[in-house]
Amino acid sequence: MKNKQKPKIAFFSFTCCEGCQLQALSCEDELPDVLSLVDIVNFREAIDEKRDDYEIAFIEGSVSRTQEIEEVKKIREKAKIVVALGACSSTGGLNCLKNRFPMEEVKKIVYGDKAKKYKHLDTIPARPIDAVIPVDYYIHGCPITKSEFLHVLKSLLLGKKPEIPNYPVCVDCKLAGNICVFEKGMTCVGTVTRAGCSAICITYGCICWGCRGLIDNPNIEAHEETLKRYGLTAEGALSKFDLYGGWERHGEKKQ
Amino acid sequence: MEYRTLPKKRIASFVTGLLKEFKVYGPVKKDGFPMYGEITSPKDLYLLHTPTHLSPKQYLFPQKETLLRFKSGANPPPLSPSGGGQGEDIAPVVEAENQVLFGVHSCDIHALRLLDRVFAYGPPDANYLRRREKTAIIGVDCMPDKYCFCKSVNTTTADSGFDLFLHDIGSGFIVEIGTQKGKALLHKHTKSKKTTAKEIRKIVEFKNKKAELFVAKINAEASTLPLIYSGSYFSPVWEKIGKICYGCGSCNHVCPTCYCFDVRDEIKANLTEGERYRVWDACLLEDFAKVAGGHSFRKTRAERLRHRFNRKFQYQVDKFGGLFCVGCGRCIRTCLVNINIAEVTNELIEESNRRR
Ligand code: SF4
Ligand code: SF4
Ligand code: SF4
Ligand code: SF4
Ligand code: SF4
Repeated sequence: MKNKQKPKIAFFSFTCCEGCQLQALSCEDELPDVLSLVDIVNFREAIDEKRDDYEIAFIEGSVSRTQEIEEVKKIREKAKIVVALGACSSTGGLNCLKNRFPMEEVKKIVYGDKAKKYKHLDTIPARPIDAVIPVDYYIHGCPITKSEFLHVLKSLLLGKKPEIPNYPVCVDCKLAGNICVFEKGMTCVGTVTRAGCSAICITYGCICWGCRGLIDNPNIEAHEETLKRYGLTAEGALSKFDLYGGWERHGEKKQ
Repeated sequence: MEYRTLPKKRIASFVTGLLKEFKVYGPVKKDGFPMYGEITSPKDLYLLHTPTHLSPKQYLFPQKETLLRFKSGANPPPLSPSGGGQGEDIAPVVEAENQVLFGVHSCDIHALRLLDRVFAYGPPDANYLRRREKTAIIGVDCMPDKYCFCKSVNTTTADSGFDLFLHDIGSGFIVEIGTQKGKALLHKHTKSKKTTAKEIRKIVEFKNKKAELFVAKINAEASTLPLIYSGSYFSPVWEKIGKICYGCGSCNHVCPTCYCFDVRDEIKANLTEGERYRVWDACLLEDFAKVAGGHSFRKTRAERLRHRFNRKFQYQVDKFGGLFCVGCGRCIRTCLVNINIAEVTNELIEESNRRR
């Protein structure tokens, strides 16, 4: 096949740790096959070349500066398909934690007294990219899983709709044969969090923090009650959702 | 009935013998809780008398299994659903090994008998049936925990559905022979003794003792439950439990008689080969009853709960002739919002009594 026939894809990165791009790059086994099927025209982590004639754009990271709003909009104009890559981009992710504090305070904590002097450090409340542009598909997780990234990419190449789970992590937990953390005297938010991660955190002895965001129709009230029954205060129960769920729960209200 | 007696210390050598021939699965301790797992040495066995968190159905109907592999000979690769098609190469996959399920409780033996009927119904399910053929089931006596209600649905004992059944009599086990296959296994892998009449009486004593210990129960004859359920379609109970349910499907996944699955295709990165697999599905999940176009015929959690409970006490009974709840209590144990199938059934019984 000639190169010009291959679909062109691009990767973009905004406010984040770029961990999701690294996950995508670490699909060593599949990369040669993938590269024979697509042209990557923009990928800061992997190639120097930069072109903007892409069809599929994978966008990683939250929008947290005014300038990024324009950049994201430009990508939307050029791309046929926009995929949000990872929690930062899909749900706002960890970045939204800062939205709970006044921006001046956040800046000072991170950059110290010099913060005021630097105009380029000015930020707006962090938000998922779909707060700015329409998004076609979401790859959830902090970080994303390789298999889901490949599934979405392969589906798009085949012209199929990717299957992204709309059931809670409890399903993955049962499929993995885990003992529920509530049995072990801990609590988690897997009951309302979108599955697709194979419940990896629970399998390895931790709890689910909810990094993949909420399912479409979560029973949050029921889970607040459960958390209270397991010893958390009302406030403690609510704060369980805030590590990754800041944007979904508060949106711009609290800023 | 044929019995043999096995001194306790012989269990280890029996298991060691089985391990030479079979994969052996049985209750093990996981994070301190009883769970099924692979037994690689007799020491792994945790013949505890209360139920495991997941049922043994996973060894006949695994969480995820490949059904077929396909290769599309098309070149260039099929970049659209209609692009492939030439030179397709499809091979069915049936993965089944000789295996022993060791330490299965009577409720789960009843459940497996139901699954045997389900997977043989209509077009026979090759994957399940092949695996079933290659499986030996060794049952063991159990004791109820606070959720077990097998006594209410007549599954406290099993008189078939196993190859061997171990009755604990303290000093050892009385081995009840269920099939010729079981008998051969016992004789091949261990030495057992003739069972005395006194020992047989101990089985009865154990049964009687066990019968006293049930906390959870259903307040009506098992045979009346299908009728009670058929009159309870409009009960307010469904709304009440629907409100607190997560729709998490855990009750389905731990249930030894839930058997729904979803079939999916996954293609490799070269876009020319792939596999079709099935994975456990659950009728409590929001998207389960969604059909093409996004319409769902059971939108609310209340409707989905009503559906699941009716599958246990009415619909399946009509089709397969037996209650599909074996009273193992697992769905109650797993439910974080305490939806209790025995208590809900009791509420329906009360409502039905009031209607009369
Ligand atoms: S989602 Fe997590 S791993 Fe991915 S870029 Fe954001 S912070 Fe990093
Ligand atoms: S550990 Fe969390 S995710 Fe797993 S079953 Fe329990 S509540 Fe669900
Ligand atoms: S278990 Fe929860 S926190 Fe862990 S990866 Fe899955 S969704 Fe994220
Ligand atoms: S009944 Fe309980 S276990 Fe079943 S889906 Fe509802 S919340 Fe989950
Ligand atoms: S419905 Fe509940 S109690 Fe009945 S067999 Fe299934 S898991 Fe056990």
